[in-house]
Amino acid sequence: MAATVSETSKKWSWVNFKQFMKDYGWCYAFIALPFLLFLVFTVYPLITAFIMSFQEYGILESKFIGFENYKYLLENEIFWKSMKNTVIYTVGTVPVNILITFFLALMIFPINKRSQTFFKASFYLPAVTSGITMSLIWLWMFDPTESGLMNIVLGWFGFDQQMWLASSDSALFSIMLMTYIGGHGSGVILYLAAMGGIPKSLYEAADIDAASWWSKLKNITWPLLKPTTLYMLITGVIGSFQVFEATYVMTQGGPNFATTTIAYLIYQHAFQYYQFGLASAEAFILGFVIIIISVLQFKYMSSDVEY
Amino acid sequence: MELKSVTDPQYQILLDEKKDFRRKTYKKIGLTIIYIFLVLWAVFTFVPLLWMLSSSFKDSSAITAVPPELLPKKPTLDAYKRIFEVGGMARWFLNSTIVASISTIINVFFASLAGYAFSKLKFPGRNTIFWVLLSSMMIPGQVTLIPLYILVVNTLQLENTYFGLIVPGMVSVGSIFLMKQFMSSLPSSLIDAGRIDACSEFGIFRKIILPMAKPGLAVLGIFTFVGHWNNFFWPFLITNTNSMRTLQVGLTSFRFENLQDYGAMMAGAVCSAVPMIIVFLALQKYFLRGITIGAVKG
Amino acid sequence: MAEVKFVNVIKEFEDEKKGKVRAVNNANFVVKDKEFLVFVGPSGCGKTTSLRMIAGLERQSSGDIFIGNRLVNKVHPKDRDIAMVFQDYALYPHMTIKENLAFGLKNLKTPKAEIEAKIKEAAAILSIENLLDRKPRELSGGQKQRIAVGRAIVRNPSVFLFDEPLSNLDAKLRVQMRVELSELHKRLGATVIYVTHDQVEAMTLGQRIVVMNGGEIQQIASPEELYENPNNMFVAGFIGSPPMNFIKARLDGNQLMTADYTLTVPVGLLDKYKAYQKEEVVLGIRPEDIISLNLLNHQPNHNVIEPTLKVVEHLGAELLFYFNIGEDQVTGRVGADAKLKSLSKVKLYINMEKMHLFDPNTQERI
Repeated sequence: MAATVSETSKKWSWVNFKQFMKDYGWCYAFIALPFLLFLVFTVYPLITAFIMSFQEYGILESKFIGFENYKYLLENEIFWKSMKNTVIYTVGTVPVNILITFFLALMIFPINKRSQTFFKASFYLPAVTSGITMSLIWLWMFDPTESGLMNIVLGWFGFDQQMWLASSDSALFSIMLMTYIGGHGSGVILYLAAMGGIPKSLYEAADIDAASWWSKLKNITWPLLKPTTLYMLITGVIGSFQVFEATYVMTQGGPNFATTTIAYLIYQHAFQYYQFGLASAEAFILGFVIIIISVLQFKYMSSDVEY
Repeated sequence: MELKSVTDPQYQILLDEKKDFRRKTYKKIGLTIIYIFLVLWAVFTFVPLLWMLSSSFKDSSAITAVPPELLPKKPTLDAYKRIFEVGGMARWFLNSTIVASISTIINVFFASLAGYAFSKLKFPGRNTIFWVLLSSMMIPGQVTLIPLYILVVNTLQLENTYFGLIVPGMVSVGSIFLMKQFMSSLPSSLIDAGRIDACSEFGIFRKIILPMAKPGLAVLGIFTFVGHWNNFFWPFLITNTNSMRTLQVGLTSFRFENLQDYGAMMAGAVCSAVPMIIVFLALQKYFLRGITIGAVKG
Repeated sequence: MAEVKFVNVIKEFEDEKKGKVRAVNNANFVVKDKEFLVFVGPSGCGKTTSLRMIAGLERQSSGDIFIGNRLVNKVHPKDRDIAMVFQDYALYPHMTIKENLAFGLKNLKTPKAEIEAKIKEAAAILSIENLLDRKPRELSGGQKQRIAVGRAIVRNPSVFLFDEPLSNLDAKLRVQMRVELSELHKRLGATVIYVTHDQVEAMTLGQRIVVMNGGEIQQIASPEELYENPNNMFVAGFIGSPPMNFIKARLDGNQLMTADYTLTVPVGLLDKYKAYQKEEVVLGIRPEDIISLNLLNHQPNHNVIEPTLKVVEHLGAELLFYFNIGEDQVTGRVGADAKLKSLSKVKLYINMEKMHLFDPNTQERI
């Protein structure tokens, strides 16, 4: 992209400024309001949050306490527990769901266009319902008595009833289980679009080279879909590190902190105990971790992405 | 590979035909398995929604009945009555509609303005500003949440108002990015033609760009509306009376305020989910198209 | 009166990878009133940028541009008394053809009756009356092309700007539209500035042609002049198809020594080449000046060579044949009745009256 090098931009003077505004002023008018709102509602809070994370925040007076908040957190057992929960949740959901998505797309791809549209729509449909709605439904499905649907189904196969969310052993797993069913629609659509973009001639060449179905999958489809996989991995990880609604609605972080995620802990510190400084520090650690992981994924994965 | 010469050509033809038949049969069986699996998976993903629907029509005894009823034997609207009379579902529904509609209009307007500037106009600092916006998408919402809360509640005094619900979501970087992607696919020569045709710069935006960007605006509008309708956390923080609650916030009250009333919960869930499902079914093609616009790798 | 004049015009872009890039370097020229001037050159040579600077869609980094007698450096496109036809036609897809044609006039607050009259007139000229209520997507490429021209005509400008307007049409339609554009120019009596990368289009349409390469103007001349007397090797190679042959040689007296043959320079030309005696030069000879001996009714006694042809291509009325002189591949073109065969040895006469010599270092014609 090239921007014009105007001779007027060389040195500042009132005349030059007037000419500059005449040339470009209206361009800035297009972004002025959105950018102003961005400054007020994103940049300003970001800076304030950063300052706050070094303070013991009070409504009337805030005390600057250096790295105390961060130090407290890094020595705090519950913080580490929530970190561990978040990581388990992420590792247990994101790759699994990408694989499910990939195989669904793989199966949809060869069928005819009309059926493709039907299945794309069916798989996407649950995604238009809110996180709260889904959490409420699953809360009811995971009901630990014999009226919970999950227990009914277990009963059909002769298994014992489970405590699901009510037990600290199974609560986190139950929340993960919920993500495996439904919610793959947008990923499927992305994969299908990317699969459609792979030149047919590659498969034809592979056919002539006597490649098997598996070999084509391994050597053509999967490597050429890497950009899509990378995109889904990064957005998936960012999303799952911030998981909140499910734990809030279904378990309130319990039992015994088994489902306390970082995002939930931030909420608790901020809006139940009003420890704004501590919560800000926590949020910054979360942001830091997310950015590091995203960059690492990008570095590691994109090194051999073929465009 | 070298083609082997065959002693008996008739036999070879028979062999080749057999092989071809086998290949076709395998393919047919494979496709059948795929269809069966896909249908099963679709049903599987619908189970929660169906269970929600079924449970919402049960009365309180049927919901905990042993043995459980998969479908309500005596369907009733009791649960729906409860959420409208006791809960205030009508008001929440109205609030959600107002907040989502206004947020969507403002969001789409700002996003199309900025998206146009970032994709089609050339001005110093354009790329820098865009990268600043884009990199902010990496920052999790929790980071800015607390100062935002203080800003809106203490400084602007907007707690428990529609303004307070709408204001922080007026501009979304994601929307701007989506609009930029969409608009960069429009031909630039039309903008040049507009300039030669003596159109003002804002006129070009209004008379040429916006009409051409309609499909993109529709996609963005739909996604934004669904997003705001389903949004929970901010309305949850900013509202503190039942009458200002949005639907999503109201729903949680069945969980925490009325003792584990699953019937009401499921009826509420239906009220929250069904409008969006209708929107989705009606505007399906925009949804399916829209997902790929935003995800183009830069 | 609408002359277009460039005085020391420079255009620089800031490129993210390459830094500052000069798209147009120090351009000076005058487009005469009512002239059909064609800019031609390979892609990225600065021809479109020049056109867009005349239109006011790009601002030059330095230098002055005049339209008529008016300095237009800071004048908005709408006030430059120009109209432009775009490569992709740039018809507003959501407006009918009529609305497309009227859009500019409406913006200029032209009275309604006048708009109607102008559209009617333009529609008659281009015979597009039956298309006025359609939308652009319902039209074929050729029809869109006409509408795009129509939109320029209704503005009644003193300068028409065409940016590769025929490049999206198929070959047959292109020839037809070329003729129509030529007629249109005569009829409208306006200045036309036309950009193309196709030298055939340039040669057939232009009264004068500006050949550009790498942001520099190589030559401004009439089509005949460009063909007969190209300024340098670029112009010589760009104009004409197949292009002029370039053969490394050494000048010695009236002898021109190539790798394989010695050719004789006509006496009349020797004076020009005085400074290059005993120097390396590049001989330029056009394919049609390499003639098969069996087509000549006299037998020349010099400048006859006898190479082995590598390939002969039959194009119907004529033949193209290829052979080597030293390392340089040479192309010749003769009538089909020469009946040349691949891999045969043939006698060829080189018409040295039509020769050019170029300086191998500066690439300029000597």
